[in-house]
Amino acid sequence: MKWLRRNALRLAILAAAALCAFPWADYLPMGTKVPPAWVKAVLPRLSPLLNLFGALAAREWVGWTLLLGVPLLVLSFFRGRVFCWKFCPMGFLAETAGLLNPRGRKIVRRVPRLNKALALVIVVTAACGYPLAIWLDPLCIFNGFFAAWRTPLAVAAGATGIGFVVILLLSVLMPNVWCHRLCPLGGLQEALMEAGRKLLSRGADEDAPRVMGGSMTRRAVLAAAAATAGVAAGRTMGANAARAIRPPGADLTRFNALCARCGNCMAACTYKLIVPDFGETGVDGLFTPVLHLRSRRVATDPDFDSYCFHDCVKCTEVCPTGALRPLTLDQKHAMPIGIAVIDRSKCLAWAKNEYCAVCDEYCPFKAVRLERKGDVSYPTIDAALCRGCGSCEAGCPAEPIAVVVRPLKVEEMKR
Amino acid sequence: MKKIQRRSFIRKSATAAAAGALAAAVPASALGEEKKSRIVVVHGNDIPKMIAVGIEKMGGWGKFFKEGKKVALKPNLAWKSTPEQGGNTHPDIIRAVILAAEKAKVKQIVIPENTCHSERETFPACGVLDAIKGTGAKLYRPKGNDYVSVEVPKGKICKKARVTRDLIEADCLVNMPVAKHHGGAMLTLSMKNWMGAIDNRTRQGWHRQGLHQCIADFSTYLKPTLIIIDATRILLDRGPQGPGPLAHPHEIIFATDPVAADAYAATLFKKKPADIPHIRIAAELGVGCIDLDKVEIVRVEV
Repeated sequence: MKWLRRNALRLAILAAAALCAFPWADYLPMGTKVPPAWVKAVLPRLSPLLNLFGALAAREWVGWTLLLGVPLLVLSFFRGRVFCWKFCPMGFLAETAGLLNPRGRKIVRRVPRLNKALALVIVVTAACGYPLAIWLDPLCIFNGFFAAWRTPLAVAAGATGIGFVVILLLSVLMPNVWCHRLCPLGGLQEALMEAGRKLLSRGADEDAPRVMGGSMTRRAVLAAAAATAGVAAGRTMGANAARAIRPPGADLTRFNALCARCGNCMAACTYKLIVPDFGETGVDGLFTPVLHLRSRRVATDPDFDSYCFHDCVKCTEVCPTGALRPLTLDQKHAMPIGIAVIDRSKCLAWAKNEYCAVCDEYCPFKAVRLERKGDVSYPTIDAALCRGCGSCEAGCPAEPIAVVVRPLKVEEMKR
Repeated sequence: MKKIQRRSFIRKSATAAAAGALAAAVPASALGEEKKSRIVVVHGNDIPKMIAVGIEKMGGWGKFFKEGKKVALKPNLAWKSTPEQGGNTHPDIIRAVILAAEKAKVKQIVIPENTCHSERETFPACGVLDAIKGTGAKLYRPKGNDYVSVEVPKGKICKKARVTRDLIEADCLVNMPVAKHHGGAMLTLSMKNWMGAIDNRTRQGWHRQGLHQCIADFSTYLKPTLIIIDATRILLDRGPQGPGPLAHPHEIIFATDPVAADAYAATLFKKKPADIPHIRIAAELGVGCIDLDKVEIVRVEV
């Protein structure tokens, strides 16, 4: 009871954060009022690592939601890690999990402090445009677990929830190690707190150097190493860009770096097209979102609408890092995510001279050109109008499918 | 499966008998060699009133909705389209029919529709959620086991289909399409509207095997008790999805003969009924009368 009363606020925040991240639309009957999509992004956007440094890395003004990352910076500058002990839902769970192992309490003392170094690496590499380890952010990890509970439940769907499970297990085995030694968001706050103390108490006492810990040169070396790694990573990451179809608004060449794997876009997709990648886009693209249209779906459910609906931008509204730029409908209508290609050897019109034109019927962009000869209309794709939504692919009655969307090449990307 | 066929056979013979009885009630002078098809065309702006007047001319709701029976409505709600854009059946028509059915104390009202865009997009956009609000009507998109396999004995190409169970089990089946342009079928009218009654595999099979023949084949199997075609506004091009150029005939067409209803509706698009292959084939299969000269067209102004 005492514990309950002491932690009432943290419990309430935990519940609210979980409720916001959960994909309600999947579980409630249609027409039920569900929280709007952007609610999912509020918690991760509170983290400056995701929000501010994500946008810095993306070199993109993603809107006023950036300001959500500011309070934590200010708070930690003046008050230290108040957020961690009072508000952070992941921290609360990790701390509670640690209570299960009272005998392991002293382990934390033997673990080196890596949190500030991790924060420094993220900040420096973000400045280089290729943030490394942005997915270690605790709010992103927390969010990813709840976002993973979207239907249909599959092992693959749960990929974004792994970090959450790992932190809890770690916290049972080695209580407090996550919060005190590893968490980069905690590290960032600690660094800011120390900077704050140093600045605010300048000349007042000689405490500052002692609290700081670590020498300036060591940090400079680390920062330089991180910057080098960031640039090197950037060189390799662009290479895999054209391997898969990404959700709309994605920055293809840097996506693997910018994406925090929070799972928000996957949970927001009404059509369940966005799935975690298991290596299609390279090792650095693990668990990043890729769009699987009809021809890529593992189990093809004939009752399923497997195309990126033209009047929907939900996934772009919920991305906390700017890896998916928030789009308006007009922007989405102007931006291709892939290009449909007709295989004439399979097409009913081209191969069998039969009237079909279902691709044209489904295409919301009128990108299918029909050339009428006699009773048959022969379709071709106007690449300038095609947005790669996959409506044609979803509707194509040919067996096997005669029209398939291919990923964009880097030079075809409009952003 | 057999059971369903038998049941639907019995039901169909019963309707046929009822139709026969009705024909007998019509003055003998109105009957030629064959039983004459009759359609009612109501022109106006007030949709609920148009429905009321049209049905009255068709013999009143009592003929179609019976207490304790199951009613199935099949509007066309395939695409995300607002009522003004004319991609879907107008929600006011759907509401008027639901209210009439509730007034007749029918047992159940179901509205199954296999949409093209996701139902999560189409249903809220087209106004049907407001239309069913406060009523007991059940609107849904059939999935998996909501379909049953049936045989189409008179079908030339389409011999089997997977059809929404609720539609074939209904005592009263109201086909209520919107009249619009269609890239593949030329026009979407009442017979084409059954493509929202079958599952996606059957639907794709029709496209593969010859759309017009399959639409006509299927219309020999699934017979509506009543047809209400929404031609208050019609999409002239860029169908079936739209948006595209509209015309506003301000008409609602009531019929029991699908061929006659579709043939009349085709003339609104300035097309000859026989130029629409599926209407012509359906007439050849004996589904109904394509010759509008032989159809009694009752015109009412509201």
